[in-house]
Amino acid sequence: MEKPKAEVDPKKCLACGGCISVCPQDAITMQSSKAVVDKKQCISCTICIRTCPIGAIHGEAYA
Amino acid sequence: MKYDAVIIGSGPAGSSTARFAAEKGAKVLILERRAEVGAPVLCGEGVGKIIDDFNVLEGKKWIAANMDGARIFAPDGTMIKLAAEMAGDETGYVVHRDLFDKEIARGAVKKGAELMLNTVATGLVKEGNKITGVQAKHFDEDIEIEADIVVGADGVESKVGRWAGINTTLKPYDLETCAQYTLTNIECDVGYCDFYLGKNIAPGGYVWVFPKGKDVANVGIGVLASLSESGMALKLLNKFISEHPELKKGQPIRFLAGADPVGEPTETVKDNLLLVGDAARHVDPITGGGLISSVHGGKLAAETIASAVEQQKFDEETLSTYEERWKNAFGKKLKRNYVVKEILLEMEDKTLNMLADSLKDYKFEELSTLSIVKALVGKHPTLLMKLKPLLKLATT
Repeated sequence: MEKPKAEVDPKKCLACGGCISVCPQDAITMQSSKAVVDKKQCISCTICIRTCPIGAIHGEAYA
Repeated sequence: MKYDAVIIGSGPAGSSTARFAAEKGAKVLILERRAEVGAPVLCGEGVGKIIDDFNVLEGKKWIAANMDGARIFAPDGTMIKLAAEMAGDETGYVVHRDLFDKEIARGAVKKGAELMLNTVATGLVKEGNKITGVQAKHFDEDIEIEADIVVGADGVESKVGRWAGINTTLKPYDLETCAQYTLTNIECDVGYCDFYLGKNIAPGGYVWVFPKGKDVANVGIGVLASLSESGMALKLLNKFISEHPELKKGQPIRFLAGADPVGEPTETVKDNLLLVGDAARHVDPITGGGLISSVHGGKLAAETIASAVEQQKFDEETLSTYEERWKNAFGKKLKRNYVVKEILLEMEDKTLNMLADSLKDYKFEELSTLSIVKALVGKHPTLLMKLKPLLKLATT
């Protein structure tokens, strides 16, 4: 099974930009003051998940 | 309309660049993605009084409190007190960063800079290989802004450098991931910025208490991202507050997340594009403080821009004066402090405790390498071995 991609909870995100600065794929952008992951670019490295100071990023849940 | 320079980001680095460039006659435009300059705040709000020397801030409204010094608490609670002038670029004033940023931006506009809110830069405009401007979205409208020089002042999450081919991606080892409450109804010592060290308190970082008044303070934490897990900064901050009765009784009037680059500066000039402030990683790798180097770097960038405009020469060679000048002004210090950061990260709590115990009665006004070594080694001779890399650095 493919590893889960990162997903930002827009209700929690406070737009600090940390995840964007460490993403090795440049897969995250700030959109209307929320970080948004481009899942096509994400390689599931989990660096952004571990970096988020408030736990607003998690692995995508599969339905 | 064509500008001499378009500056992406209205923080202290972007607004200082705009101010000093406009003052020398350059036609500049600042783009800000948010609807308000300086808000929301993403900062511990400490700055050294040397900020006054740059004359970018009028009045006093942006100052919340004046600091006499800093207190550093070792993991076992041993305290070292430093006078403000010894405590580096982050101790002097605790500021209201929202008002601070607005005041620098106001000054820039007064000197002739233009400022456009709600405008997100989305890419560079190029003719062949040459950068000729910036693509942006103003609300829903796609716009293009023509400019001879593009300045990336777009903070820790900088994209502008990447668009030009500068690698600004930070290693987790080079990022502090932060959370901060502004707590009210607490008891704090107004004259001092406090720093708490220890791997159980803040791995690879520290907890800070910066008073903004007699019963209100910024209480925040930075954790090195390479040592962090999801949400760790906030969890450890909550733990710290719950273990300090004088803070525990407070209530938050503001909460923020933050990210602070603690790597080495990047390349800052590529063709006719410059990077300033956090985007250039102009931040002290030990303290995470970057306000002074942002304003200073902005001023140097502006002087280079003004001279390029005067000569109508916008090639990399002309603009690299900026890089030479910031390297001379503060680049060496940032480089040295990066080495110190690496040494400090290797230190165990036990070593930090011994260090603090040796220095707690030391009078820092007599600061010299030799007198510090005597104080350290006199009390804890085993420190000599552990501090060898630092001493080597101090004597070269």
